[in-house]
Amino acid sequence: MTNWLSSAAQRGEAIHDWLAPRRQASLRLLQESQWPTRKTEAWKYVPINVWERAELSTAVASNIEAEPIEGLNSFDIVIRDGQLQADTLAAAWPEGLQVLPLASAEAARLDWAQATFAQVKPERHLFGLVNDVLATDGLIIDVADGARIERPLRIVNIVNGGSEAHARVLVRVGSGAKVSIVEHYVGNQLSQSTGFAEYSIGTDAELEHYRFALQSGEAMHIGGSHFDLAERATLTSNLVAFGSRLSRVDMDINHKGEGAKALLNAIYLLDGKELFDLHSNIEHAVANGTSEENVRGIVADNSRAVFNGRIHIHRHAQKTLAELNNRNLLLSDRAEINTKPELEIYADDVRCAHGATVAEIDKKAMYYLQSRGIEREQAQIMLNFGFINELVDDMPNAVLAEWLRPQLRQRFAAMEVK
Amino acid sequence: MLSIKNLQVRVEDKTILKGLNLEVKPGEVHAIMGPNGSGKSTLGYTLSGRPGYEVEGGSVTIDGADLLELEAEDRARAGLFLAFQYPVEIPGVSNMEFLKAALDAQHKAQDKEPMSSRDFLQAARAACKQVNLPAEFLKRGVNEGFSGGEKKRNEIMQMLMLQPKICILDETDSGLDIDALQVVANGVNSQRSPERSFIVVTHYQRLLDYIKPDFVHVLSDGKIVKSGDSSLALELEQQGYAWLQDQPAPAGEE
Ligand SMILES: Nc1ncnc2c1ncn2[C@@H]1O[C@H](COP(=O)(O)OP(=O)(O)OP(=O)(O)O)[C@@H](O)[C@H]1O
Ligand SMILES: [Mg+2]
Repeated sequence: MTNWLSSAAQRGEAIHDWLAPRRQASLRLLQESQWPTRKTEAWKYVPINVWERAELSTAVASNIEAEPIEGLNSFDIVIRDGQLQADTLAAAWPEGLQVLPLASAEAARLDWAQATFAQVKPERHLFGLVNDVLATDGLIIDVADGARIERPLRIVNIVNGGSEAHARVLVRVGSGAKVSIVEHYVGNQLSQSTGFAEYSIGTDAELEHYRFALQSGEAMHIGGSHFDLAERATLTSNLVAFGSRLSRVDMDINHKGEGAKALLNAIYLLDGKELFDLHSNIEHAVANGTSEENVRGIVADNSRAVFNGRIHIHRHAQKTLAELNNRNLLLSDRAEINTKPELEIYADDVRCAHGATVAEIDKKAMYYLQSRGIEREQAQIMLNFGFINELVDDMPNAVLAEWLRPQLRQRFAAMEVK
Repeated sequence: MLSIKNLQVRVEDKTILKGLNLEVKPGEVHAIMGPNGSGKSTLGYTLSGRPGYEVEGGSVTIDGADLLELEAEDRARAGLFLAFQYPVEIPGVSNMEFLKAALDAQHKAQDKEPMSSRDFLQAARAACKQVNLPAEFLKRGVNEGFSGGEKKRNEIMQMLMLQPKICILDETDSGLDIDALQVVANGVNSQRSPERSFIVVTHYQRLLDYIKPDFVHVLSDGKIVKSGDSSLALELEQQGYAWLQDQPAPAGEE
């Protein structure tokens, strides 16, 4: 154990809230954990040492505001530097929706929350353990059986410069219920944060999910969104990531009930020296599940994208349909993409397709467009943005898609072809 | 209008243009002929700003301004147009989207209002008709799966839409059937005006029967080795290029 991990474990031991008994197992695992090295497969491409070496200075007094997204009409709940902002919980919630601080007596009385904590996410994710042990604040969201919540909930997770922050979100979508949840992460100055969310999606329930991992610059973030799907549950998840000094997201989708359907669309756009690492894992534990994963990214300059896409089809998960594809566009010789599909298939009657491609920019086509007076930035977008735009077009919420589109275009237009 | 002085151009580590001079005045039509590999396309690419074409010496001005320091898109906006010998296929971008973006960009550069979609569509359809391309080609990917002749007509169609001041046609006649040749020639002739100039690169006298050039130049080994009027093209057709080897270089060349 290194200093950072042992200090995290020590701090964790001193916490005595209602989740303390639930944290014990994670605490023990954390105490046994080693700091990852270059040989640790799960962290192979991540310069994880910058996390340990970071010297956070609270002198950096940025204070990012949570801007509403125009036209979205969402309930915005703000977590700032790991602290839930109580005033943002004052909304008049619609019937069937309960939103509580993690650190509240009411939350402690929810059996499902007790049973869900640390049970959806994978057991051994090092920073998941850190979050298990240290996240004393966050949110509990409960959507009652059959409730259909029209307005999206947006959790704005702000981490300012100098902060170390650990936030946790637990969500239950009751059977037959429907809800849309946006996890929106921002921050650009030197900071360290973990943000994990666990979702339990009930029978015939529907979750529309977004994770906007828009940390940039020096903000280091490691987090994950993890989903358990009951029978015939439907999950549509959309991940959008910018890279930063260190940015890692894990997405786990567990088919626990038969006939569930999951779609995960992910976009990453990286420039400069940014890094983004996506690990996805789909567990088809039961029969008749469907999963589709479209992961697409553009990497420029000195940046690096890591994608590890695991699909695990268990022995009894017959008639599973699983698709995974990863498409990348490389804008410079120095940018890197490490992409690895990992298929483990133990059932014989399944359909599973996967593929990964890395394309380079067509310089001749760029020149042809420019020779007609079209400027470089626009030519670049016309030629190479289509495959990203397709995933934006696919977002079920048109307001969010239109909010993102210009930001993504701008980020891409600023990238240089080298 | 276009003034090329002692132009020397290298591609990778090969020097291709070795001191080329050419003066093009408004309204003139210049034909450039010459053996394969002599540097004709290189001249067109260099003028239009293709990356990788390194100017090692000489100058090019357009209406007195330095052309060579402009980006490719700014050269187009300054009125230069190259009809490619090998037009590029761009699946995923429709011909229509491409043409509209090009036109909007040029209008913007000229501080003009963008064309309305309706006017644009009308003009694009008319241009297609003029070069005998069905209007459905507007919906297809740029040059995607077009036949050789269709690609060439598509180049002329763009020229009709963009109304450039200096048009460089690089072997636009090769690969065209007899009717298409006439269509292309008519397209060019319809654009001839006292303000607009053409540089027509060709291997065949036939095109020059339709488009009467004011001057004919022979480009050989990176230089213009002979210039004359349209009768020179006929001479070349009969005698080939070999006899030029023994000719003294025209005045103005080193
Ligand atoms: N990228 C390159 N690397 C090396 N040589 C090149 C490159 N591009 C062009 N060349 C060479 O430059 C010379 C001139 O080519 P260019 O295309 O200008 O000839 P051209 O006169 O247009 O010939 P054609 O009549 O066959 O079209 C050729 O010998 C060609 O092989
Ligand atoms: Mg040529």
